[in-house]
Amino acid sequence: MPDFSLTPEQESLRDLARKFARTEMAPHAAECDRAARFPDEIYRKAYDLGLMNLNVPAEYGGSGLALFEQCLIVEELAYACGGMTTSVIANCLALEPIILGGSPEQKERFLKPFCAQYQFASFCLTEPSGGSDAGALRTLARREGDQYVLNGEKCFITNAPHASLYTVFATVDPSLRHRGITAFVVPRSTPGVTPGKDEEKMGHRASSTSTVRFEDVRVPVRDRLGADGEGFALAMRTLDQTRTPIGALATGIAQAALDHAAAYSLKRHSFGKPISEHQAIQIRLANMVQAVHAARLLTWHAAWAIDRGQRGTLESSIAKCFASDSALQVADEAIQTFGGYGYMKEYPVEKLLRDAKLTQIYEGANEIQRSVMARELLRAYA
Amino acid sequence: MEIVVCVRPVPEAETRLRVAPNGQTLDADGVKFVLAGYDESAVEQALLLKEAVAGSTVHVVACGPAPRTEEVLRASLALGCDRATWVEAPAEFAADSIRAAGAIAAVVRSPLPDLLLCGKQGGDDESGLFSGALGEHLGLPDLNYVTDLRWDAGTSRFRFQRATEAGAERWEAPAPLVVGLQQAWNDPRTAKLPNILKSRKATVAKVHADPSVPPGAGQPEKFELPAPRTGAKLIEYKTPEEAAQKLVRILREEAKVLP
Ligand SMILES: Cc1cc2nc3c(=O)[nH]c(=O)nc-3n(C[C@H](O)[C@H](O)[C@H](O)COP(=O)(O)OP(=O)(O)OC[C@H]3O[C@@H](n4cnc5c(N)ncnc54)[C@H](O)[C@@H]3O)c2cc1C
Repeated sequence: MPDFSLTPEQESLRDLARKFARTEMAPHAAECDRAARFPDEIYRKAYDLGLMNLNVPAEYGGSGLALFEQCLIVEELAYACGGMTTSVIANCLALEPIILGGSPEQKERFLKPFCAQYQFASFCLTEPSGGSDAGALRTLARREGDQYVLNGEKCFITNAPHASLYTVFATVDPSLRHRGITAFVVPRSTPGVTPGKDEEKMGHRASSTSTVRFEDVRVPVRDRLGADGEGFALAMRTLDQTRTPIGALATGIAQAALDHAAAYSLKRHSFGKPISEHQAIQIRLANMVQAVHAARLLTWHAAWAIDRGQRGTLESSIAKCFASDSALQVADEAIQTFGGYGYMKEYPVEKLLRDAKLTQIYEGANEIQRSVMARELLRAYA
Repeated sequence: MEIVVCVRPVPEAETRLRVAPNGQTLDADGVKFVLAGYDESAVEQALLLKEAVAGSTVHVVACGPAPRTEEVLRASLALGCDRATWVEAPAEFAADSIRAAGAIAAVVRSPLPDLLLCGKQGGDDESGLFSGALGEHLGLPDLNYVTDLRWDAGTSRFRFQRATEAGAERWEAPAPLVVGLQQAWNDPRTAKLPNILKSRKATVAKVHADPSVPPGAGQPEKFELPAPRTGAKLIEYKTPEEAAQKLVRILREEAKVLP
């Protein structure tokens, strides 16, 4: 029998995240959103509690959690603030290529010192000329003896202005397309690495996003992850792991929207009764709760499948796509439930809509998720 | 220094409480039990002492039913306590603070620790009986509403303060001693994720509560939910002056709180 109940261990991890989210993150969410402030002191506390490097094996100083437990934590954090959550979990995305593709020596050399301190890493795949078509990336890695020389620019890189380490995808030969892409670990201190200035964003404003330029950056061969041409597969395997927590992040935003809407509907009166007694509002709340519940269960299922050793490409694409579409829908319906107040910045629901929107775009836009789903699905019929 | 800290599972603060059909305990169905805030302060005090006095150990003890009692013990281990003992007893047994203190006294009596700590009162029934009862059962001096307890190695005495209505008293006392801690004078730490994982795998020693410990006067007779509040009155008005006049009339003539 599948079991949908949490173990006591899972409950205590969720409780830790819930307590942190509600006492440390939530009180500052509106202010950080307004001012686009990167709350370093909150992220430091998240690190101190072990909420940051969730996927890094414990032997390298991380929390060593399976995907399911990561998802429980991410949903709780996102309930309080989507943007802070994006920054807290960005290390997971940036370090996953090292976890999956690094040699034992590289893991020892990079992960251990990295996790021993509060610091950020960034995953550098997207480029100004395109993100979805990662096989077409242009950042060049030219081999010179036992070094590579990197030249190019990445954009929309989460935490880049604050990061001390970058995992970078570049091509050794653009004509090879996917088969030329190669992954590198590049410390920020390497000459020629320049993060840009913080982008002004619609949502996730407590997170920080910028370009990173690489100008004649010399990377020793021993800092290459895997062999030449293995980078594309590594990026895809990385995203297979990290896509599901984005489903959890979207679920957290959606749950927050539902909770705000339901509570408000009981207090707000029109035509002599609480609006929760109008059937139109009830139907809307019923649709919202279905979306939230399904988003969570799809996320749990994808995490469960991957934790059991399946690749989970289809499951994680379904979870990420459905949960993010649901988050946008539910946040929209929460605003509608609040009426005019919902449109005001003084109330918390308009932020949820802005935050939800990103979950449809990053870590593989939903169009790409759908084409992945169709590919996986049709394979079974071909 | 050997420190024992006694904790008790209480319903999470946001719980919608229901009384069990027996009328003497809370309905535990679907209720999440946690360490009470008072107990968190006690655990924090134990850990601060442990950090200040080299070679100290903190032994956390709780009396009550499964699974809630084991859960708060594991939560205490995650915070940094060294070992845990679960004195298993039914909820009704543990609801009697004097009886629970007796059952715990039986377990910690030999060898006696240097210090026994607990919250100033249960986070649920707020009876405030436990620390006195534990002192009585063990034949030790006990003090409640204590803050800022330190060990003075020079004089081999504990020094601490005690909150009173008028201010704070300063005390000193030799070991062994039973102390109830005031809530929130310290800032209880949050358990870190790796310690939570470790605490799940730690062993919690389990003993059965000695059934021969007699019920005490601490047995609650009856739990009742407070009657729903009534009587809120909205004043209809057009101008603030009218609202004030109506309010003063109601306070004077109906509530009779103004002459
Ligand atoms: C706040 C934020 C943080 C980010 N963080 C990171 C990060 O840390 N690291 C990183 O590498 N990237 C990051 N990204 C980039 C993100 O992953 C990309 O924006 C995303 O992959 C889409 O790429 P693009 O913006 O270039 O859009 P494009 O690829 O140009 O796509 C434009 C539109 O066309 C659609 N489209 C493209 N191809 C197809 C197709 N074949 N079929 C149907 N529709 C298609 C897309 O779905 C999209 O709707 C971040 C983005 C944002 C906004």
